[in-house]
Amino acid sequence: MSQDAELMRRRELLKRAAWLLGGAISAPAALAILQGCSAKEPVAGAASTLKVLSAAQLDVVAEIAEIIIPRTETSGARDAGVPAFIDEVLAAVYVKADQDRFTSGLAAFEKPFREREVADRSAFVKQSLESALEAKESPRAFILMLRELTLLGYFSSKVGILDNMEYVPVPTAFQGCVPLSQMKKHVYWE
Amino acid sequence: METNSFDAIVVGTGISGGWAAKELTEKGLKTLVLERGRMVRHGEYPTATTDPWDIPFGNRVTQETKQRKPVQTRSQYPTPSNTHWFVDDLDNPYTEVDGSRFDWIRGNHVGGRSIMWARQSYRFSPLDFESNAKEGIGIPWPVSYDEIAPWYDHVETFAGISGASDGLAQLPDGKFLPPMELNCVEIEFQRKLTEKMGRKLIIGRVANLTAPLTHDQSPQRAPCQYRNLCIRGCPYGAYFSSLSSTLPSAERTGNMTLLANKIVYELIYDNDKGKATGVRVLDAETGAQTDYFAKVVFLCASTLGSAYIMMNSVSARFPNGFGNDSGELGHNLVDHLKAAGVSATVEGHEDVAYTGRRANGYYIPRYRNLGKEKRDYLRGFGYQGRASRSGVGRFNNSSMIGAELKQAVQEPGPWVLNLSSFGEILPNHLNHATIDRSRKDKYGLPVLKIDTKLRENELAMQREMVADGVEMLEAAGYKNIHVGENNYGMGLSIHEAGAARMGKDPKTSVLNKFNQVHACKNVYVTDGSFLASSACQNPSLTYMAFTARAAHHAVEELKKGNL
Repeated sequence: MSQDAELMRRRELLKRAAWLLGGAISAPAALAILQGCSAKEPVAGAASTLKVLSAAQLDVVAEIAEIIIPRTETSGARDAGVPAFIDEVLAAVYVKADQDRFTSGLAAFEKPFREREVADRSAFVKQSLESALEAKESPRAFILMLRELTLLGYFSSKVGILDNMEYVPVPTAFQGCVPLSQMKKHVYWE
Repeated sequence: METNSFDAIVVGTGISGGWAAKELTEKGLKTLVLERGRMVRHGEYPTATTDPWDIPFGNRVTQETKQRKPVQTRSQYPTPSNTHWFVDDLDNPYTEVDGSRFDWIRGNHVGGRSIMWARQSYRFSPLDFESNAKEGIGIPWPVSYDEIAPWYDHVETFAGISGASDGLAQLPDGKFLPPMELNCVEIEFQRKLTEKMGRKLIIGRVANLTAPLTHDQSPQRAPCQYRNLCIRGCPYGAYFSSLSSTLPSAERTGNMTLLANKIVYELIYDNDKGKATGVRVLDAETGAQTDYFAKVVFLCASTLGSAYIMMNSVSARFPNGFGNDSGELGHNLVDHLKAAGVSATVEGHEDVAYTGRRANGYYIPRYRNLGKEKRDYLRGFGYQGRASRSGVGRFNNSSMIGAELKQAVQEPGPWVLNLSSFGEILPNHLNHATIDRSRKDKYGLPVLKIDTKLRENELAMQREMVADGVEMLEAAGYKNIHVGENNYGMGLSIHEAGAARMGKDPKTSVLNKFNQVHACKNVYVTDGSFLASSACQNPSLTYMAFTARAAHHAVEELKKGNL
């Protein structure tokens, strides 16, 4: 089923459910139905739902993603469901050749990554990013692909947006020149 | 036959069809409105209030969409948040003649592309209506600016166009709601352009409500909430679309019968009466064929859609297609010319930003070939763009990670500013569409074959569009000036027009000055087909004005017994 059709199907289900319950469906229940197939629900990423990555590969991806965006006082990549998101995007958005480039890049990266002590792995990721940016390879190196997917997944996730940005779904007005001192934190402008 | 008979039939529900439906029904005509795509009613916008985290795949376009919609995704528009508004190309094929790319971006549903349009609303100017005659290009326009100006007033007032009165001869002012604001960097760019180059930069004129409408005919519409999610459909009815505006008005008259999934494939012509008597329709779901009858028919099926219906309507009187005595039907296809986009970073202004997401940008109106200036090409172009503070994407080329990265994301990025050009393409008989009878779609109907290319004037203009863009950013002192890729193919601006041009002389044109088919006066064509030339401004407002004028003309002619 296409994503549009899937989304429509969920809306339709919701409408029907609301009708069956005499319109008394609760907001959280409605939300649960609408989000039923969300890429970022907690159970996604369980081995049985993986599409491109193996469970072992997902573990490495999760570890690197968490290094790129760790849990601090705000949520980290794992909290945001980034590993499962990456698997979903690889499957739905990437062509086979790019999926293969990602998985073979992952295999090559994994060995030296694992050989580092856990405490040194962050430095290794940083160093790998620096040399990849310097090399300016095209197509982009594995670690840059992973970094881009991590940022995309995290900053399009609910916790990623709500923890880090001032998300105002209905701004109601536009002001062209506002001093930053009057703004809270990074405003969601996308 | 009784239940299939109406006073008027309108084919299509986009910008033009919606206006025809509103004006005809308000004048008391029982009107059948036919849409080839699915039913959508105002408010039925599945993703309109969906938060970003509920849009799958970070809103990246999927391989499935690319496979089903290889033409639609040539534009940057279809994403998981809105791809339901773009046709499935495999189910809606057409033929591109070898080496001649044509990007036909479409939405088959009630409301058509008025749901996804960019809402930029500019009048054509006196100059635009005069250039063909002055320069000997195409054929002279049969309508002057002064004749159409009151109809621009009429449609602007009803639709609600926000903008500033800028006093420019090449871009006449209209009946505006208050303008949106430029941001700090845009104001600086505006000042520099004026001081250093004598060029104007104005806030875009856009069909979004910045204040309540000045009439009470659209109680379903509320002002813009600055979400900038218009392309998904607006639950507030804050921008003009057929769904939010014209069709509800038509519905309230009680005179409209709106049917979806009805593919009009032929006009019915009565040789004895010398009139069209109705349309032949295929039901998209059941395949059933039905004839519908009316005193007057409005074709508003988009320029290629209407040209298709006319070319597919062959009779003893019209062996070469309906109303095609001139041989110009399907010809003179134009679009708006784009070139590579130009962008730069703007230093400074780090302590300011903006709040809200403005569903609009700025506009640099045409400045070339005005007055005595003569470039090595004819006509001109304008630019649309905006300045903004860059977002998370800027970190894709940084090695920053960890807590440091999370901290850095909290700060808005550097200012970036871009220019995207839209130029006039000259009408040319050689740019045309025909019917490809060797190929059928899933309904068994033959498909369109499109054969267009950019010619010398366009290529010269494209070079200047890029060079001028770079020059303006340099003059403003902006850094890291970047020229993007030129990925333009004819059609990509989604302003295709001209396939049944209007003119004084039936020997060289398909329509007269009231959008009537010269050879069959009870058929009006009021979508982009009628343009004798396209100017460089976004065209929808002009379709609205001519459609409203044609509908009033049809009602008067019916009263006089002339149709």
